[in-house]
Amino acid sequence: MRNLGLSWTRLANLVPVLFGITLVSFVLIRLVPGDPATQILGNRYTPEAAEQIRNSLGLNDSILTQYGIFLRSALTGSFGESYQYHRPVGEILVDRVGPSLLLVAVTAVLCTLISLPLGVLAAVKRGGAVDQGTRVFFTLGYALPAFLIGIVLILVFGLKLGWFPIGGYGTGLAGHLYHLVLPAVTLAIPFSTVLVRSLRASTITVLESDFVTIARLKGISGWSVLARHVLRNAIAPVAVVFGVNLAFLVGGTVVIENVFSIPGMGSLLVGAVATRDYPVVQAVSLVLAVFVLLVNVLTDVVHRLLDPRLSVAVTR
Amino acid sequence: MTKLPATPRRSLRRLRLTGATGIAAAALVLAACGGGGGSSTDPAASAPAATSEVDTLKIANGVAIDTLDPAENAANESIWLDQNIYARLVQTDPTGTKIVPDLASSWETSDDGLTWTFKLNPDAKFADGTPVTASDAAWSINRAKDLEGGWGFLITPVTSITAADAQTVVIKLKTKHAPLLADLAMYAYGILPQKAVEADKDFFNKTPYGAGPFKVTKLEPDSNLVLTRNDSYWGPKPKISTVDVSIVTNDNTRVLQLQGGQVDVIENPPGNLVKQLQANPKLRVDLFPSTRVDFLQVPLKSKPFEDVRVRQAVKAALDLDAMNTLAYQGNAVPANTFFPYKMLYWAESIQAPKPDLDKAKQLLTEAGFPNGFKTDLITVSGDAAGQAQAVVIKDDLAKVGIDVTIQSYEQSTAYTNERSGTNGLGLRYWTNDIIDPDEVATFGADIKGGANTFSSYWGDEATTKAINDARSETDETKRAELYEQVQQTIADQAPFIPLAYAPFRYASGSWVNGFQVSPLGNYNDSLLSLTVGSH
Repeated sequence: MRNLGLSWTRLANLVPVLFGITLVSFVLIRLVPGDPATQILGNRYTPEAAEQIRNSLGLNDSILTQYGIFLRSALTGSFGESYQYHRPVGEILVDRVGPSLLLVAVTAVLCTLISLPLGVLAAVKRGGAVDQGTRVFFTLGYALPAFLIGIVLILVFGLKLGWFPIGGYGTGLAGHLYHLVLPAVTLAIPFSTVLVRSLRASTITVLESDFVTIARLKGISGWSVLARHVLRNAIAPVAVVFGVNLAFLVGGTVVIENVFSIPGMGSLLVGAVATRDYPVVQAVSLVLAVFVLLVNVLTDVVHRLLDPRLSVAVTR
Repeated sequence: MTKLPATPRRSLRRLRLTGATGIAAAALVLAACGGGGGSSTDPAASAPAATSEVDTLKIANGVAIDTLDPAENAANESIWLDQNIYARLVQTDPTGTKIVPDLASSWETSDDGLTWTFKLNPDAKFADGTPVTASDAAWSINRAKDLEGGWGFLITPVTSITAADAQTVVIKLKTKHAPLLADLAMYAYGILPQKAVEADKDFFNKTPYGAGPFKVTKLEPDSNLVLTRNDSYWGPKPKISTVDVSIVTNDNTRVLQLQGGQVDVIENPPGNLVKQLQANPKLRVDLFPSTRVDFLQVPLKSKPFEDVRVRQAVKAALDLDAMNTLAYQGNAVPANTFFPYKMLYWAESIQAPKPDLDKAKQLLTEAGFPNGFKTDLITVSGDAAGQAQAVVIKDDLAKVGIDVTIQSYEQSTAYTNERSGTNGLGLRYWTNDIIDPDEVATFGADIKGGANTFSSYWGDEATTKAINDARSETDETKRAELYEQVQQTIADQAPFIPLAYAPFRYASGSWVNGFQVSPLGNYNDSLLSLTVGSH
């Protein structure tokens, strides 16, 4: 455990971070003008009815009392009931986590499949067709906003060619995966740019190092050097880039879920903020925070597995 | 004793827009749709085929389902779906101007008007096959009435709702209440199967049902709702067996789904894509008259606007036609009163204001602001029509020296700022939940009604009295006089300024035959006879 960077102190440090995130999201959403009663009543708003609703939701208690109640129920796994949907927040989350996780997973797999060969090829044949081609294509993809890429993909592959559905989430795992192809490609284009460029850079560095030259001098074949000596060393720093970007990707799903009408966490959060659905906002921020922290920890673990020198440094 | 017979339903005519002639036609049909009694049934107007080639109608809505508990509903899109599932004692006809039987086949009032007796249709059954009893009905109405933050305030004069026998519901009142039938026709008073609802606290989160023509067979509030024909329904059987509603919040994606034939009907296509949709011969854009009234909120608590002459000056400077053109491509109607267009007791005689800059300047001079003043205008960001209206208002008021700064906030913040009554002008809108004007009059003009007269904090005793009198007045002519007085007073005093009557906008495939939306927004009547062709 220790040599994977997972010391108990490391894990214990996550607790105050999570605590801080709940506090910040709790206070921030209450500092924003507008309140749930306004949203619940719509144009039937009367000050009396609004007051009644605030009372019944406990919003007239001091913010400390409210936070205390939130923490106590959160520790028992309950996030209260959504103001907007009149359902327990936990149930809503269960429905919504799946699509987002699947989208992120499909995107991550897609990115790996795209970036690994392209990054290495671009490094090996520097200035060649693959190198130039990926540079132009991905720079363009990176520069365009994701929602625009999404709409263009829908227009071409959904409307004109009819290969993929125009938004939606489908039913069954096969249906979900089929519906997630276009959104995952949309997310994968900018994400792959970062990976291809950084894999290319780290591969070049390793290719130029002395041990590679020695391996070549020993007569080991080109591909064997690449697979056994170069890639292993080149991929470790890329794994860190991958982890950091995966956390960013979760933020990117917000827009994409909207464009492709995927019922995930991102669209839930946006809707909840707009309607001041406090319990949902708090729960979603907490879940997203846990996800990001987990990815960070896992990134460290993977990094150490790929590069044992790091573990040695720690145990010393 | 009055006994009200069943009234035959009449269908709204479909309105298809094609360029400039379409707009003229829009005005005509808008006018035709709202008209009072008389038969306007037009056999040529999209008479649905006898059977539906395709069994399923696919609708894409822009807003998620908040709940399917009728007593709790707040999102319009969910309310409109509700009405396919739960029958009520009475319902509004598709024109939104009449009350017609639903579960109650007849009803009577006592001579003093304080006791109402409803006779249920003995054939009425819930979707599970059990009969609809008077005790189910009484329980459901009591449940909705007593719900905190719900719709009970509409029927406060009601003292008791009881079941006299299995088929008879008796409602007792403490004072006469003219809007009672309109209130009972509201979605919130849908009749529920008492035993099933009480037995399962998650009833409305699973596959809820009532005694309407459809029942829920799949509910994923954020993505998908499937309604299946209720074979126990006592009325005419819908020609389609399934209504598949998907939630697609992104406007462009909804339009693309329709273009790709993935869905049949989409709600609220964005205004800037209407032309593109119309250019496609396989699609059409439909406008249906609604009860929406856009109005300019005026902060009466702040200095210049407490003077009625300043408010009248603002009103005289506004060009409602220009606003209509820019915000609604000319498809709305300039508002003449704060009552919804062509709805019950709407005062046709009151004129919509026309721009008169000389009058506006003179009023401002009299009020002591010959050189105008500065003020803010609060708008909701992302509301394209509202932003367009704001631009026209800023331009119009600049002509009389009033310097307007437009401030866009997201919706919740904007409404909170406006409601203080001190933060500058604001853009708001109203929609009716019932066909009777009691609700809009109470919220908009009765300072004791609880809503601070649309947060303007204006009020006078004569108007409050007129609204109270109209509520208990059962003579239609006298009620009309009282409501005309209220509308005229608001027009003169201008505590807020009605701007536009905007229609509902839908787009559908030409293969859909007979999709119609009532002025209250519900389309359940049309789903009974609608057919879907292959495409």
